[in-house]
Amino acid sequence: MLAVRDGDVGKLGALFDRHHRVLFDYFVRMTGDRAGAEDLVQDVFFRMLKYRKTYRDDSRFTAWMFHIARNARIDHHKKRKGEVMFPEEGMEIPSRSPFPNQELEQQQETALVQRALHKLSEEKREVLVLSRYQDMKYEQIAELLGCEVGTVKVRVHRAMRELREVFFKLSGEKASWNAKKSETSLRII
Amino acid sequence: MECEEVRDQFADYLIDNLQEPARLEVRNHLAACESCRSEAEGLKTLWAKLGAIPAAQPGPELRARFQVMLEAYRHGLDEAPSRSWRQSMNEWLAGWWPSQPVLQFGLTLALLVVGLVAGWRLRPEPAVQPNGEITELRGELHQMRQMVALSLMQQQSASERLKGVSWSYQLKQPDGEVLIALLDTLMHDQNVNVRLAAVDALRQFGGQPVVRNGVVEALGRQDSPMVQVALIDLVVDLKEKESVDTLRKLTQNEKLNEAVRTRAQRGLQELE
Repeated sequence: MLAVRDGDVGKLGALFDRHHRVLFDYFVRMTGDRAGAEDLVQDVFFRMLKYRKTYRDDSRFTAWMFHIARNARIDHHKKRKGEVMFPEEGMEIPSRSPFPNQELEQQQETALVQRALHKLSEEKREVLVLSRYQDMKYEQIAELLGCEVGTVKVRVHRAMRELREVFFKLSGEKASWNAKKSETSLRII
Repeated sequence: MECEEVRDQFADYLIDNLQEPARLEVRNHLAACESCRSEAEGLKTLWAKLGAIPAAQPGPELRARFQVMLEAYRHGLDEAPSRSWRQSMNEWLAGWWPSQPVLQFGLTLALLVVGLVAGWRLRPEPAVQPNGEITELRGELHQMRQMVALSLMQQQSASERLKGVSWSYQLKQPDGEVLIALLDTLMHDQNVNVRLAAVDALRQFGGQPVVRNGVVEALGRQDSPMVQVALIDLVVDLKEKESVDTLRKLTQNEKLNEAVRTRAQRGLQELE
């Protein structure tokens, strides 16, 4: 990034190759919108070029990148306020299991977890996404969000408890729906 | 460790980030506390389930889009230093200029109208001419002075009447009423000084026939030698030919003051 800052903007291609998947994943998990996430990735790298002079010698690139990514996402959210992008059924889960029934059950459960995650507030969802999927330490998350490490830990704990409640609620709804479905099928038979 | 303290450690417990001795204390507490153990296991299980959600993969077109953006940016950087300020100014001005001839004509016409209006608005103000109001005020002041002069000349006090005669000096073009008042003062005022002042006042209006006639008439009627001398000097200065007969009568009047007769004789010589 130092080379990019000093004028060799072609070097940004290497940074893109290394980091664009991480960014894309972060945006999809936060917004649930694949097309929007692609636009945001593009926006982040454009902002890197635009604000490359602000990159300091002692900056950690990942922290700087996520700082830009957060701002881009917040701006994007303001522009598209009110639009609900999260899919109700979740994204496709690739199949690897040799046992189809077990696999189906796992897929359903993972989809439920994903739906539960999407139902959390943005603030709670973000700490989980950063720690669980971006492998960020709590200290790094605190630096990114501009808060104390203790605040991040409390937020993670609360987010997990709420996620569990939402997950159980969604599981109950699904179980109830499945039971009704079986009952209807028996009557038809 | 109490339950509350242990639960504060759950965030670190989830990612196996607990350090000794906290790690040992949490483990011991969970072994003893069913409630905390249940919650910790539940959260840990959910944490594992979160990990089962696969990462989202971008399409290949994202790389292509990035490359286009990067090339465009580099192109912009290469272009930037070579553009002079004049080119930038030309492009900026060209952006404002319409491409259609009709619009160009309209814009030119509009600018012309704007220029004319601005020129009209910004024209210098003409010099202030005396207007009717000022003339009227001057007229009123003139009338006021005449009234003051007339009213003072009718006062009982000689000094007030003298003031009235002096006021008439301020009148450049007194109307007939003031002139008659001055002549009346000259003819009938009991005070010699007032009559002498009237002679001096009438001197400046000597061009008017009514004054000239009045002065000649007053010369024949005066009995004060000082006023007679003043009037003889006046008619001589005015070169009033009509006074010749009066002057001659004065010279022939033996009862008259000698100085007056001598003055009349001299005046008669000057006029003849």
